[in-house]
Amino acid sequence: MNPLNTSSAFLRSLTRTLATLPAYQAGAVLADAPPAFTEVGVRYSHYSEDDIDASSVIFGATSRYDIDITQLWIEAPVGASWSVALDVQNDYQTGASPWFVGTDQSGEPGVIMSGASIQDNRVEVGVATRYFWADGNAGLNVSHSDEDDYEALSVGFDASWNSASNTRTWTTSVSSSHDKVNPSQGVIPVFVTNEELDTQSGYFGVSQILSRSAIVRVGLNYTYSDGYLSDPYKLNDQRPQSHERIALSAGYRHFLIDANASVQFDYRYYADSWGVDSHTVELGWAQHYERSTLTPFFRYYSQREADFYQVIADLSESHFADDYRLSSYGAVTLGARWAINLGDWTIELEGERYWSDADWGLYDGDSAPALVDFWRGTVAIIWRFD
Amino acid sequence: MGGPATLVITPPIGRSATGASLANKVQSHLETLERRYSRYLTDSLVSTINRRAGSGDFTHLDPESETLLEIADQLWRSSGGLFDITSGVLRKAWRFEAANAPVDLSQLEALKKQVGWDKVKRTGEGVYLPVKGMEIDLGGLAKEYAADCAVRLLRDHGVTSALIELAGDVATIGSQPSGRPWRVGIRAPQGGDPVGGIALSNAAAATSGNYARTLQFEGRTYGHLLNPLTGWPVEGPTSVTVIGENCLSAGAVTTIACLQSPKAAMAWLSEAGLPWLMIGQDAGYSGPLASKLGLSPP
Repeated sequence: MNPLNTSSAFLRSLTRTLATLPAYQAGAVLADAPPAFTEVGVRYSHYSEDDIDASSVIFGATSRYDIDITQLWIEAPVGASWSVALDVQNDYQTGASPWFVGTDQSGEPGVIMSGASIQDNRVEVGVATRYFWADGNAGLNVSHSDEDDYEALSVGFDASWNSASNTRTWTTSVSSSHDKVNPSQGVIPVFVTNEELDTQSGYFGVSQILSRSAIVRVGLNYTYSDGYLSDPYKLNDQRPQSHERIALSAGYRHFLIDANASVQFDYRYYADSWGVDSHTVELGWAQHYERSTLTPFFRYYSQREADFYQVIADLSESHFADDYRLSSYGAVTLGARWAINLGDWTIELEGERYWSDADWGLYDGDSAPALVDFWRGTVAIIWRFD
Repeated sequence: MGGPATLVITPPIGRSATGASLANKVQSHLETLERRYSRYLTDSLVSTINRRAGSGDFTHLDPESETLLEIADQLWRSSGGLFDITSGVLRKAWRFEAANAPVDLSQLEALKKQVGWDKVKRTGEGVYLPVKGMEIDLGGLAKEYAADCAVRLLRDHGVTSALIELAGDVATIGSQPSGRPWRVGIRAPQGGDPVGGIALSNAAAATSGNYARTLQFEGRTYGHLLNPLTGWPVEGPTSVTVIGENCLSAGAVTTIACLQSPKAAMAWLSEAGLPWLMIGQDAGYSGPLASKLGLSPP
């Protein structure tokens, strides 16, 4: 019998109040930290860039990158207060990318592509351990990434803890990585060997439960890199030796009881020492069903170009780049996530489509001829068992 | 939470969880709730709120406890002030918990000043009891809520057949492994054989009674349920059982019924529209479940 169908105003009102508690919500899971399950998961993503418009290419292939990403992980509780995790990821990328931007016979900028010759495989292995106590948890992780031309070792520490009232959660993390760059000689000439890069990053954030149906989160991230930051596979790319980045992020979730759904709003502001700054806004609607949650989302992104970016790089400057990723542009993403709960098993599906255009941005700047559009599809299967 | 508990679980097929591991999870969750809401544990949230009565200090609430107090507020309003989680201090005058202790009505007027949900301050800062000595007792809600949490936890682990009984309140998941509904006996106020058995499947049953703890005073027998408005024991039904979708809803309806006169209780129960059984002070049965169980006035 559903009390909402009764004529009793008292029971209808009571049922609406109860619906804000996880015990009475379909799809909610009671808090059960530290981890009560061992979790094993596999995730596969395919990322595929659209062919570049032939009219923008002076020489080379029009096809661009395809990347296959496969991730395997396991996380298991150890005793009452610890967990350990192992995460292995393999990225296989193939295709062509812009080598440099020149001018065609009519004086218009166009791209000289690298040729469909690039094949690269990256393997990253990470291990992590986490300690849980009554009001929070802290984790330590180490990861190593290796590919033909790049090797990275990183160490990270993070912690989060709840306020006495259980309505506020503080989160902080620090990480440090050391990268070695050893570009491989291929069809395009490379003039770089044995470069290094060090990066340090820190984050501090807080999430606050505002009411039974609303939660807000803000965070600040600072990252500093020192070393080789140019792209060795681009002909005209000479970037500064240091890179400071700051990002302010905020998110808001509002649960709508009658609709059994939540509205999700996220915003991120990014600025760096190269003159790039950007705004990202994402809106999502998470609709909860008895065994699944479907979340369509929309994302808008706009960035201002780097101080040293030019459509055609000016090699007389101390720093220069013609990389479209450093230009002014705007981008729109449409996508959806679908998480399906089948008892011990969870299946996650996600698809997104991304379009970028210099005219969609908030900032002025010349249009880069190689702006990219792509789609990405992801499927994950997760198994949790006692 | 001051009462016995029974847990019957059929481990889900095709899952690694065993009955014992699931029972441990339920027990662990019940203990967590007890640590928060028990008035017997000195460091519980409820004890902290009570200890700060009259001190000027608010106690912060998380969404769960905020919602439970919101429910207490709804029950207070819907019962015309009869359901009042601040009424527990009146026990100091009536002393049901101490056998053969004399009733001390000299305190009653002073204690009544420490009673009144309408006095409780709830703001963004949390909750505050403005009168020194004032106390709240979530016992009338937390036990039913705990049973519903146990149902939820077991469902999350794939359980499709279980029965949870916490001191007389019962919540069920699905039916028995045989496919038959769970059968739950309704205790007879005078003891002995149950007055009847009700069938439950994906439903809960709550019973409130005024017979379990009684005392004699000036030649009359009084039950332990107290009217916060008068400070005296209520003279309501002996026992009320209600079947509902979840334990907390069923418990709320039955508790408010027991705080009223038998006549008002019958009107309240009929309006709620859930199946009910009432055993009156004259041991007569009434309600839709009485007809279903073939019970009639003795």
